Amino acid sequence: MIQKKVCMIGSFGVGKTSLVARFVRSIFSEKYHTTVGVKIDKKVVEVGEKQVTLVLWDIAGEDALTTVRASQLRGASGYILVVDGQRRATYETAFDLQRRVGEAIGSVPFLCVLNKSDLRERWEVTEDDVEALRQSGWPVLFSSAKTGEGVEDVFQELATAILKIPNVKDDRANEATPRGI
Amino acid sequence: MSLASPLREVASPDADQEVPTDPYHRLRQLLLGPEQTAIAGLQQRLDKPDLRAEELSRIIAEAIVLRSHRDHALQNALNPLLEEALRVSVARNPQLLADTLFPIIGRAVRSAVANSLRAIVESLNETVERSVSWDALKWRLESLRTGKPFGEIVLARSLRYRVEQVFAIHRETGLLLAHVAREAESARENEMISGMLTAVQDFVHDSFVETKGAELDTVELGEFNVWIQHGPEALLCAVVTGTPPRELRNALQRTLEELHSNFASVLSQYDGDTESASGMRPLLEACLVGQQPRGGKQTASRAWLWVALPVAGLLLALGVNWMVQRHRWNQAIENLRAEPGIVLTSEENVWRGYRLSGLRDPMAADPAEIIRRAGVDPAKVDARWEQYISLDPRFQLSRHVAEEKARIERQVILFRVNSSQLDPEQLLRLDDVESSLRRLQGYASASGWKLKLEIAGHTDPTGQEVKNATLSQKRAEEVIKALTDRGITADAFTPVAKASQAPFEWKPGSYVPELSRRVTFRVLMDNEQK
Repeated sequence: MIQKKVCMIGSFGVGKTSLVARFVRSIFSEKYHTTVGVKIDKKVVEVGEKQVTLVLWDIAGEDALTTVRASQLRGASGYILVVDGQRRATYETAFDLQRRVGEAIGSVPFLCVLNKSDLRERWEVTEDDVEALRQSGWPVLFSSAKTGEGVEDVFQELATAILKIPNVKDDRANEATPRGI
Repeated sequence: MSLASPLREVASPDADQEVPTDPYHRLRQLLLGPEQTAIAGLQQRLDKPDLRAEELSRIIAEAIVLRSHRDHALQNALNPLLEEALRVSVARNPQLLADTLFPIIGRAVRSAVANSLRAIVESLNETVERSVSWDALKWRLESLRTGKPFGEIVLARSLRYRVEQVFAIHRETGLLLAHVAREAESARENEMISGMLTAVQDFVHDSFVETKGAELDTVELGEFNVWIQHGPEALLCAVVTGTPPRELRNALQRTLEELHSNFASVLSQYDGDTESASGMRPLLEACLVGQQPRGGKQTASRAWLWVALPVAGLLLALGVNWMVQRHRWNQAIENLRAEPGIVLTSEENVWRGYRLSGLRDPMAADPAEIIRRAGVDPAKVDARWEQYISLDPRFQLSRHVAEEKARIERQVILFRVNSSQLDPEQLLRLDDVESSLRRLQGYASASGWKLKLEIAGHTDPTGQEVKNATLSQKRAEEVIKALTDRGITADAFTPVAKASQAPFEWKPGSYVPELSRRVTFRVLMDNEQK
């Protein structure tokens, strides 16, 4: 069995936990977020013939008071950057977060997820913004934790991307540029 | 010098180079000119070390990275050089290394000291308990018998704990390396548990602990303990029920070290593939030690109590008795030392008794009596006394008293047949008695003793006994009268009529009548000092 550590990253309230909750049935209570600052779940995903266990580190949301701890990111094989389409500020923070995570753990596969796609008409993030993300080389997906739309795809795609990199550790040292999918 | 310039020099068909006239050479130059120039350039690059060095300098870093990824040959090759370089550097300028280490050395020392202190405190209770319990005794014996280390036996026999699960966790990623459990069904959410353990660890570390190197090593929840051992690449977490002995921590540490040495490459390149770490399972399984606490232990320990209590009581009684005996003996020794006329030169305890030796003035009190008064059975004491004369003033006096007493008691005043009249020739003897008595009186008044004189009258065995009794009484009174006439004031003269009951016997059964008609003296000094 292959396990991979995956971090959920994004501003406070973008729906990271909801995404995970859509994806897995949790055994740990929500309380872990406020106490330990991280909640861990797992999900087995099939990539081709292989089964891979994603160990999801749902890290408490980034806001004025909390910052993402390097210790929680350490050793991640990939991460999911979650943006709330309804709040442009979370979109702007995403760039900063991506840079900081890249500094902490090097270049590993990641996905940018624009969440709350069921409320598309109320979005502050425009088509141009999405295009800007894609231009900078980020893979962008849309999801709705509420309806479940696109959620499985997010994890499936990330797992596929992670498995394509045979030995993440070796590459990290050599590459400084972010690697999207 | 740049790489380009020498190349250009060679390549340019400049004027100072002679144009060959020989057709063969011209042909060669025409056909192979560019190649010749290139070869000359390469030759120069190979021949000039500074050029090569410069070329090498551009790629050496990349080359080292590439090689170090491939295998450890480079590290091995550099190791001796680095060691030597470090040695030389330290020898040349120790201050440099001291300055470099300064920021971390204090922390390292503190952490090491704190760890060992905590280990000491942790083990203190257990050590106390361990050293006196019945189990400990049994285990020590077993350890002696089998030659196994005591710690191993404690781990195997301790009934108070059981290792339920063991996790090996990759330190960097928090991913599970391997997991073993006693119960199969508990092996479900281990990936998440190992992740959570790592996260809790980080949380505690980031929130409370300033010092680097300090780690969370115990999580307690009721009777569940999670013991965590830390290594550079992996953690070992044991879920234990009951009260684990501290030897378990050593065992975990050893297992962790073995994991690090046997699976070094797996650990450094772990990519989440549990297959690569499956070889760790046997090591972890060896950690599933201990037994569940037995229910019957309570009754067993009570039964043991029934044996233990009388034994303990007996031991206590023996101990108390020994102490009492000891105290009494010390008291006896002390009294002997304080006694005038007794000099103790050695005293020792021997099997079931004591041995004494020393000097004793014949006038001194009886040592056996002193010992008996202190509460020690004199029969247990083997005493050897050498005689000596004490210069103690009390003995001087006693000695004189004894002399005079003996002198008086040797005297015999003889009488003629049927007479209580003092013969003139006997008066000389009376003089003797008189002077001795005077001296005795002096001693008596000096020391406050009381002088008593028993004066016994005797007759020969002839005649009627009734008459003899009267006669002997008269003889005694006659002597007393003579002495008081001479001014002797005995505190108490006691006349005793012995009649013919104590005739003078030359040898048993053959008395001498002349010598039996007499008065004898007995001095009684009341030795009570005032």
